[in-house]
Amino acid sequence: MVNYIIRRLVQAVPQLLIISVILFVLMQAFGDPLATLGARTPPRREDKERLRRQLGLDQPVYIQYLVWLVGNDWMKIDLDGDGVRETPGQRKGVLRGDWGTSLVTRTPVVDVIGERLPNTLLLMLTSEIIIIIVSLFVGMYSAIQQYSFFDNLVTSVSFVGYSMPIFLVALLFMYLFGVDFKRWGLPYLPTVGMFDPQAGRTPQQIALHMVLPLASLSVISIAAYSRYVRSSMLEVMSQDYIRTARAKGLREFLVVMRHALRNASLPFVTLIGLDLPFLLAGAVVTERIFAWPGMGRLFVDHTARSDYPVLMGILMLTAVAVIVFQILTDVTYSFLDPRIRIE
Amino acid sequence: MKKRLWLSLSLFVIGAMVLAACGGAAATPTTAPTTAPVTSAPGATIAPTQPPAPTTAPTAAPTAAPSKPAVVVITFPQEPDNLNPLYTNMWFSTITHAFWLRGLWSIDDQGNAVPEIAAEIPTEANGGVADGGKTITIKLNPNAQWSDGTPITADDFVFTYQMVISPKNAVASAYPYKEQVESVEAKDEHTLVVKFKEPFAPWLTSLFASTVATGGVAVLPKHILEPVFEKDGTLDKADWNKKPTVGVGPFVFKEWESGGHILFVRNDKWFGPAPKVDQIFIRIVPDDASQIAAIKAGDTDIGTFLSFADAPDVESTGVAQITTDMAGFQEGWFLNMDPKTAHPALQDVRVRKAIALATDRFKITQDLLYGKTEPPATFWDSTQPYGDPSLKAYPYDPEQAKQLLDEAGWKDTNGDGIRDKDGKELKLRYITTDRQLRKDVQAVVQQMWAKVGIGADLVNFSSDVFFNTFGQNGPLYTGQSDIAEYSDSPSFPDPDVAYWLCSEIPSAENPEGTNGQHYCSKDLDALFAQQLTTADREARKAIFAKIQKIMYDDVVYIGLWRDPDVWSVNKRLTGVRFSGASPFWNVTDWTVSQ
Repeated sequence: MVNYIIRRLVQAVPQLLIISVILFVLMQAFGDPLATLGARTPPRREDKERLRRQLGLDQPVYIQYLVWLVGNDWMKIDLDGDGVRETPGQRKGVLRGDWGTSLVTRTPVVDVIGERLPNTLLLMLTSEIIIIIVSLFVGMYSAIQQYSFFDNLVTSVSFVGYSMPIFLVALLFMYLFGVDFKRWGLPYLPTVGMFDPQAGRTPQQIALHMVLPLASLSVISIAAYSRYVRSSMLEVMSQDYIRTARAKGLREFLVVMRHALRNASLPFVTLIGLDLPFLLAGAVVTERIFAWPGMGRLFVDHTARSDYPVLMGILMLTAVAVIVFQILTDVTYSFLDPRIRIE
Repeated sequence: MKKRLWLSLSLFVIGAMVLAACGGAAATPTTAPTTAPVTSAPGATIAPTQPPAPTTAPTAAPTAAPSKPAVVVITFPQEPDNLNPLYTNMWFSTITHAFWLRGLWSIDDQGNAVPEIAAEIPTEANGGVADGGKTITIKLNPNAQWSDGTPITADDFVFTYQMVISPKNAVASAYPYKEQVESVEAKDEHTLVVKFKEPFAPWLTSLFASTVATGGVAVLPKHILEPVFEKDGTLDKADWNKKPTVGVGPFVFKEWESGGHILFVRNDKWFGPAPKVDQIFIRIVPDDASQIAAIKAGDTDIGTFLSFADAPDVESTGVAQITTDMAGFQEGWFLNMDPKTAHPALQDVRVRKAIALATDRFKITQDLLYGKTEPPATFWDSTQPYGDPSLKAYPYDPEQAKQLLDEAGWKDTNGDGIRDKDGKELKLRYITTDRQLRKDVQAVVQQMWAKVGIGADLVNFSSDVFFNTFGQNGPLYTGQSDIAEYSDSPSFPDPDVAYWLCSEIPSAENPEGTNGQHYCSKDLDALFAQQLTTADREARKAIFAKIQKIMYDDVVYIGLWRDPDVWSVNKRLTGVRFSGASPFWNVTDWTVSQ
């Protein structure tokens, strides 16, 4: 098992290198980081010429990639534009842990991402936990009580939920519970942000402000996930070993929890394993609508300014997470199903 | 086993919340509940009864003690990239300077300069302007001090100048310090002398001023940043850029949570009039519909960057009102007249004029912009006092347009509904960004043009690609359009602009050039050069009248509508007077009613 994990990790190194080359080249298809500089009028010609040189954006792509990868502290660069390379470079490169500096904020990429990651994890992990628990419960119940009123109700609601775009759900919730409830004099929820500036950044405030984003994130995923649980449970419940378990007089609860659920959970685990790494990337639409300062918005904001160091950072982080969670998923399989052995 | 799993999961969630709550440091314990934001809503006395939140309960009580701090909440759809004025051109960053980084002077809502760190505005009468405008001498307020109590002296300004022009700093804009300024010197502790190479007319709006003009570098604290520059060899990575805890203004920076909020608190060392509110809380809300929801729910006091389409919706709730200010911006058409890349018809002024006459811009502003604005006659209509009132926007006159096109030889010979000449169809490439309003305008214009026999190919680009330079193969500058629509302004509040200079025509040798129109007129070039060195306002207005006459007669630019900044102000907040050049200049007059 340990050998297996080590082998997979070693394989990941060339994989990540290839991914980084591809991403870096694709990054060039984005717009020009100096096109607007976020201003309302395009920058002056003199300023663009100078900045392109100072930020190293005048170099060919392969040089820019090399600088990104191994840094430029071993060479000199031209800052004042006289054609003479006079100033030693300061970048260390990704291989030595320097992810570069954001072209937008001019702060280290690690800080830019580090500031957003906790907020995103708080929102995404909480919603993932809610999604897993609720969809397991709903899916199992519908499978056991197949074609009951509850099952039919859940099935219809799922289809409605699954076909709703998230921005619609989110705005609907916000206008209903944030704006209209307040106007009607009912208990209401806050619209945007993580806390009310007058109440301060307290856990209660954050919990209160999380209700609507969590609800929007969960509703749609629960609809989809509970369908997966339902169908794989239905399949397992008709197997011979379930009949055997019942025949030995086991209580129905134990039959379902120990024999059925464990076998039915394999597809669900795959699904979650594929999902988890993308939790790091955040929820673009939900974060935007509820003004939640997370990774999804970071990615969108910095894409708009073609801030390739930050984009590379986020994408590489996601790539690493995908590889790690793939390994974890494979390991989990062998725990859940003894027939699967990892060598 | 199961119980333990549950327990650890719940512990994790609680732990994560606490972590997130601690992230913002001890910012707000002092910000205890106050003037309930709900007081403006009908449901004022209803406390939120969501999950137990003891701190929110007193918030809703209308009896809040008047001694509690008053917070003004402002929503920004875009987050400032950097707070150090050296490293940003973003409007959303420079407008915060009115709170925490005042320069020599601000520009009020009437367009007049108001002294901040300067003791008085330099004029020829008081000896501040000499050498025909080449030398500006500024007397500083001797009481001026940084928020940590250090006096502000002329050395701070000299240091700021040195930092802007240092090649070690990758500053966003070195204008006008690098090209136009010859020297900045401290004559004594409280006297600053700036010398220009040539008389420089825009000095009042761009020289160490707190305005939204390009550059917009007010002043930097030498005692904080000089040691950083000496240690790191650059200011690019200074902590102060992100956490400018020392500033000069009625408020001082307190904290910035990336993507979340920026908080400013009262500055006790401010030497100007004291503000009547205690804190400014800027919340980043990127989604337009969410900002409207927050405005309607009373969760924000000032909404920014609204569009005219939002106005009726916001005003109908009675919670907030809509106000506008002119900030030089106008939506308009930049016509490509490059003989190599543009449609040959655009070389003919009769065709250009026919395009203006064939477009019912008055109907567009009436239908798509709710009649809240109107078409301008020239590029300077929104940059008063420089717009020439004697010129009027071309009327909607399709008959005259047809006549002009006939005269120019463009006739529909093949009966396909589009005019042609020498086998070339009069079909224009009309490009703009992918904003919905602009797409709507494109569609409407296509129909209007069809009535006079002009065809249109509508193309949209995302805004980061749209403004790419010639060197980056941008559509504006490489001639991929005949007509390009976007909103732009001169160097507001100054009228100077470089977009139609011959020297700005982009090419392989000049890949960053900004004259995508490829319009080149020696007369116009001479006038633009002349106005830049004419410090006298009336004389400069006269030159701009000539510039506008040439551009109007030659139909170089066709304005679609004046594009003012649209704000919402919650009715609990009074005394707000937005100025296009320094929107929050009168923050010390703002009051919050309970």
